[in-house]
Amino acid sequence: MTDSGATGGSSSDEASGRAPGRRRTRVVVAAALTLVLVLLVGVAVGRLSSPNPVTPGTESVEAGFSRDMQVHHEQAVRMAMIVRDRTDDPATRSMAYDMALTQSQQAGQMFAWLELWGVSQAPAEPTMTWMTRPTLDGSYGDHEHTPSGGTEGSPTPAAHQPGGRMPGLATDEQMAALQEASGVEAERRFLTLMIAHHRGGVEMADAVLARSENRQVRVFATGMLQSQESEIDAMEDMLAERE
Amino acid sequence: MVNGNNDKPSVKQQRDARRQEKVAALKKQQERARRNRLIGIVTGSVAGLAVIGLIVTFVVTSGQPRENPRDIVVEGAQTFSDLTANHVTGPVDYAQTPPAGGDHNQIWLNCGVYTEPVPNENAVHDLEHGAIWFTYDPAQVSEAEIEALQDFAPSTYAVVSPYEGLDSPMYVSAWGAQLPFSNVTDDEEDVSDFVTKYWKSGDAPEPGAPCTGGIDGSGKIA
Repeated sequence: MTDSGATGGSSSDEASGRAPGRRRTRVVVAAALTLVLVLLVGVAVGRLSSPNPVTPGTESVEAGFSRDMQVHHEQAVRMAMIVRDRTDDPATRSMAYDMALTQSQQAGQMFAWLELWGVSQAPAEPTMTWMTRPTLDGSYGDHEHTPSGGTEGSPTPAAHQPGGRMPGLATDEQMAALQEASGVEAERRFLTLMIAHHRGGVEMADAVLARSENRQVRVFATGMLQSQESEIDAMEDMLAERE
Repeated sequence: MVNGNNDKPSVKQQRDARRQEKVAALKKQQERARRNRLIGIVTGSVAGLAVIGLIVTFVVTSGQPRENPRDIVVEGAQTFSDLTANHVTGPVDYAQTPPAGGDHNQIWLNCGVYTEPVPNENAVHDLEHGAIWFTYDPAQVSEAEIEALQDFAPSTYAVVSPYEGLDSPMYVSAWGAQLPFSNVTDDEEDVSDFVTKYWKSGDAPEPGAPCTGGIDGSGKIA
């Protein structure tokens, strides 16, 4: 910018009176250039400041959530299907039926988002990395957002690490033990595992709500949060009846 | 310039007039110079701001490189079309070794890590569900390479198993696609590209269908 300023000042001394046409051309060119640049800047500012400016990218919080939550849901579906095979209790079986189909459908929604966003189903970065990203309000931790959860085991959920284990996931051993149990024992194991699983799911939904302005994702996470919290209450009652 | 007119105005008057003319011209010139400088400064400032704005825009929008996984070209991979997907009860003679799709058993293999060969007909059913299948020839790979492969494989929607008689130390297969490779350390880029493109791919016939709740092969360790 110093360039055009300097030439505008100094060259006019010699050029004055000699070539008014050339100077006019220069002014016109400068004006046109300015107009183009102003338009470009306007477009850029508009794009960046609009409420939902871009489709979530492969390393976005939304994509990370959609990938991790699919894996999380897939395990819940598996647990529900196992307990349906392992008990005759109608209450447990119908709850499991409900959860399996709900979470299977939800996993499909998240699958489809990733497809529509044009990003891979495969993680672009280690699991849980999105949960270590700063929140919308600038704070990193989302502990204060965690409702009801975190009473069992750890009082406050530990800060998550990229590549860390998702909260609430059952271990292979726990899954095998559920598979081997039957009757009330299977119901108890299922309820215990699924309560923890739901708490983890709630924590992840909270984490995405604290970090994303994407409307689809927010509506989804809000619904998931509400239904899983109420299911936690229902399962706690069912578990108490079976102790 | 203006000399030799006639003898009416005195020499002094002529000089005065000329001086005034000069002064006027100089003033005009200075004014013009000031105006030009102002135009220059304004133009320059706007241009400078615009350039900064554009740079910021490019930095912000290029932060997330966007490549549709379908556009990824996996170096060394082969693809196969026109695969049939019937449920059959007997053994299937697959066109590829290891198989990369085709007719299969009605029951799918549970995804995970196996230390013994798994039945082709069940594993191919997994590929139909969007899983990928890592195979290694035990005669061509070291124990460390096998462990690295087992660690590398995704924890869901992936099968890892030995497969004797391969013409490459390792293969990764999806429904309709396959990549031969040596190990996950030397060929990490190509294998990662393959995973990004094909793991849980929407191009599999039944993405999202289960990879659990089927049958276990023998030697399942994870």
